[in-house]
Amino acid sequence: MSDSVSVDAPGIKAPGIKASSGVRQGEPWYKNKKLDQYLCFWSVPIFYTLFGLVFVPLSWMMPPRSPDSSMAEIVAFMQSENLLFACVILILSVGLAAVGNAVYMTQMRRMTVSPAFRFAFMAGSITGPVVGCLFPMFCFGLGAFRPDYDPEILAMLYDFGYLSFIGCLGCFCLMWSMLGLSILLDKNNILPKWLGYYTVWQFVTELFAATVWIAKTGPFAWDGLLAFWFNMVLYVPWQIIVYFYIYKAIQNQPEHELPNVLPVKAQPMLQGNAL
Amino acid sequence: MNNKGQLLLLWTTPVAGILFLIAYFMFPAFAPPMSPTMTPEQVAAFFKEHEASIRGVIIYGNLIGAALVPLFAMIAVQMLRVINSSPVFAYSYIIATGVGLTAFILADFAWGVAIFRPDRDPQLISLLNDMAWFFFIAPAGCIIVQNLCLAGSIYLDARPQPVFPRWVAHFNILTAVLMVPAAFSVLHKTGPLAFDGSLSFTLRLLTYVMYVAVMFFVLLGIVNREVENEGVAA
Repeated sequence: MSDSVSVDAPGIKAPGIKASSGVRQGEPWYKNKKLDQYLCFWSVPIFYTLFGLVFVPLSWMMPPRSPDSSMAEIVAFMQSENLLFACVILILSVGLAAVGNAVYMTQMRRMTVSPAFRFAFMAGSITGPVVGCLFPMFCFGLGAFRPDYDPEILAMLYDFGYLSFIGCLGCFCLMWSMLGLSILLDKNNILPKWLGYYTVWQFVTELFAATVWIAKTGPFAWDGLLAFWFNMVLYVPWQIIVYFYIYKAIQNQPEHELPNVLPVKAQPMLQGNAL
Repeated sequence: MNNKGQLLLLWTTPVAGILFLIAYFMFPAFAPPMSPTMTPEQVAAFFKEHEASIRGVIIYGNLIGAALVPLFAMIAVQMLRVINSSPVFAYSYIIATGVGLTAFILADFAWGVAIFRPDRDPQLISLLNDMAWFFFIAPAGCIIVQNLCLAGSIYLDARPQPVFPRWVAHFNILTAVLMVPAAFSVLHKTGPLAFDGSLSFTLRLLTYVMYVAVMFFVLLGIVNREVENEGVAA
């Protein structure tokens, strides 16, 4: 592979050696050399389907209920049995969020930017699923788990659940800003530049959600037009488009970049992959 | 060329094991674990009765959770030596480890806050206790993904002499499968699937202890072999 492709992949930095020269690795048993990347990529639609199931038809947590629902409404919602089924599916599938984010990181690694970008992205993707996904769903699940809690406690869990789900913007802004900046700075054009601008736009709008910590009604509340719906309208298509282009980036990755295709000689210490 | 650093990291695993044994025998608050059918008043009474034990468990729990991380870091490092087309499995593994550890620590904290002032309103003690059980179960989902990623990368290893023996992949998949029942514990208050049940608690804990012990020896073998064959940086 040429040096311009990756700035930080020791072990596979061997300019001028073509995949056809030298001794090959033990020929792997699988034909599609990018099988690992495709397996991880296809976990993404599975994850989002389960994620959608958990938050929409199972829990009816989304679209968001109003922050000023009556106590009776809150109690009725917090005690619905389905919230616990949603918890089960979420517990089993939350790890897939890690895989989906690893798919991004793998492409960010091919960009001509410092590893710091993907390491910061990684930090965000470790925190995100706990504070923005597990914790909120558990708040609702806890209400359903023990219906005889005081209504006051159920109401607190309700607020805690919604605020952490919708108001959790720090780690996601961190992740998307790292991705957006990487796309814009990258000289290898792994992802299209306009997608970089779209990503920046997307995470800047996500900051609008900060108001959910203050407003209880109106467009800035957690069910509001600006704080929630405007975000969603930008975010959902963005997420689909990004994964579409990630898929294309995996497809377009040239064979000579793949360690499992490179000859042994190109990897002096038989190093697999650099972080 | 030596492997001192890697071995040093690896030997934190037996330290975690010793801490676990100390916690298990000195602070048997959760042997047997409390039943989820207990009312808030009974939970509060249980916390008052086992105050010292539970304090011990939460302090040791925090340490044990942290002491296991170097083992997972070592597995990730070896996953990076496996030759696939990309480090995607290793990335997934590291992120999933972080998520699981965070959830485990949150469980520990919820119990810790409950026992800090056991005189609190029983409803609050019970809430913290339930929250702790939820977060105690949650890492199961992360372990499942960690193990599947490790297995995937082993199956797809293109090295003539694979980094991990093939059976480690089968073993990881088996462990992942045994973790699945625990996720259903939020649906049950009694029986083997409840938080204190044989499948959700005993089987999961035993599987996990076995898993960590086996992976420790696997890694020990790999690190020693790595030095013989290739020489590595500390």
